[in-house]
Amino acid sequence: MAVSTVYTIQPLNSSCSSIISTQTKSHLGFNQKQQVLFFSKRITTTTNSSRRGIITCSSAEKTVVIGLAADSGCGKSTFMRRLTSVFGGAAEPPKGGNPDSNTLISDKTTVICLDDYHSLDRTGRKEKGVTALDPRANNFDLMYEQVKAIKDGVAVDKPIYNHVTGLLDPPELIKPPKILVIEGLHPMYDQRVRDQLDFSIYLDISNEVKFAWKIQRDMAERGHSLESIKASIEARKPDFDAYIDPQKQYADAVIEVLPTQLIPDDNEGKVLRVRLIQKEGVKHFNPVYLFDEGSTISWIPCGRKLTCSYPGIKFTYGPDTYFGNEVSVLEMDGRFDRLDELIYVESHLSNLSSKFYGEVTQQILKHADFPGSNNGTGLFQTIVGLKIRDLYEQIVASRAEALQTAKA
Amino acid sequence: MATAAGMSLLTPQILAKASDSTKFQTLKFPCLNNPWKRSTDFVARRLYVRPMAAAPEKLSDKVAESVKNAEEACAGDPVSGECAAAWDEVEELSAAASHARDRKKETDVLENYCKDNPETEECRTYDN
Repeated sequence: MAVSTVYTIQPLNSSCSSIISTQTKSHLGFNQKQQVLFFSKRITTTTNSSRRGIITCSSAEKTVVIGLAADSGCGKSTFMRRLTSVFGGAAEPPKGGNPDSNTLISDKTTVICLDDYHSLDRTGRKEKGVTALDPRANNFDLMYEQVKAIKDGVAVDKPIYNHVTGLLDPPELIKPPKILVIEGLHPMYDQRVRDQLDFSIYLDISNEVKFAWKIQRDMAERGHSLESIKASIEARKPDFDAYIDPQKQYADAVIEVLPTQLIPDDNEGKVLRVRLIQKEGVKHFNPVYLFDEGSTISWIPCGRKLTCSYPGIKFTYGPDTYFGNEVSVLEMDGRFDRLDELIYVESHLSNLSSKFYGEVTQQILKHADFPGSNNGTGLFQTIVGLKIRDLYEQIVASRAEALQTAKA
Repeated sequence: MATAAGMSLLTPQILAKASDSTKFQTLKFPCLNNPWKRSTDFVARRLYVRPMAAAPEKLSDKVAESVKNAEEACAGDPVSGECAAAWDEVEELSAAASHARDRKKETDVLENYCKDNPETEECRTYDN
């Protein structure tokens, strides 16, 4: 016995959508529902710029590549937002693409998350018993190829790692920007990728501060407790120490975050001691200094001209060695409470690469709601952002010069 | 036993009859069931729209679930790779949940409107 119901198709110009379905039922009681859906054809035109192809370019248009390494939950996203803001414009995920894409695109910069180069997705890693920190879970060959291609001006189809589902999604097209930032766990792990970087930064968060930050981040989640957060950090520590931490010796700038020395036994992490470790001798990078380059300075700005609230602010600056490299270390301990403290401090720092007086303060104020805006993390992240802008402009200028001399 | 067998023989027919009757009773196309109503009154249900990003509630559930799995995995052997991988998953999901929370905070209705319509009166900015 067959029962079938047929519905008529509504004409195209009516606003009611229609579904034709014929249902046939066999005698055993199985339903075979066939649905025919009416699709409207959408004609998409692709402009020349979005068509992938080999673009030959002169050396003046080579992309500047910046690498940023940090563990999860250590401020990479905040740094990215500050950095893209220095260059102007807001960085947003690619429009019309995968909504779970990790890529951010702004006017001049494109930020790529290196999690997209995972070779094993979440189930794969669970089966093999490896964490995402393990190099075995990442495809460094693909990472190197694609970073090199983008640097040479060729657009690539980069895979997407979906953090929500834990799967590898279909790739998205990445067009070469002026500045490419690769952020993740292993930007400096592979030698070949390291050689492509024009500048590299490592965010080194000490264990106590990391614990405090993760508590702040995760206690709002109902699945978490203090023990689970602690266990999570402990379980990842061996892999972190083995694979991620050694990258800091290769970084051109390290932002180290430690607990404050101004408040004895502070474990809230509200006041932080932040050190900006700048490698000497890096091309196009002139370290920030306080008062006199190369000498050792200890400075407490609070006094007669500036009144600070407890615990105050303390700066030190001096040369040092870090993993065998000559570095200059600028350190800030304390917290900014008022705008005039910030501008006072800025006016005494040298080699900031700011375009006008008060630019650092203005940038920090623009994003006063970002975490770390009242201590050294925000200050040094902003300064590094300005340094990167300066580095980019120097590279572009030197390439233009090279072109000129080549033409002449 | 006999009754059970009897039941089992009877049930397909009963089910068939039931589904038969349900088929005639529940027609899921209101625009055809109620022809006096205009077609504009009915929402087009043809397309299923995927939510833009995973709702934080789903992510929160995932986080809670992953914490439980990690605790189970580590109950056996606390130094094994499985234990580390499980807690790494917890970390990844917590990070994703925190990013989702941040993104939710950023969806200001006026900002979004002004992004698309900067020339309207409410959205004009005077930079100089």
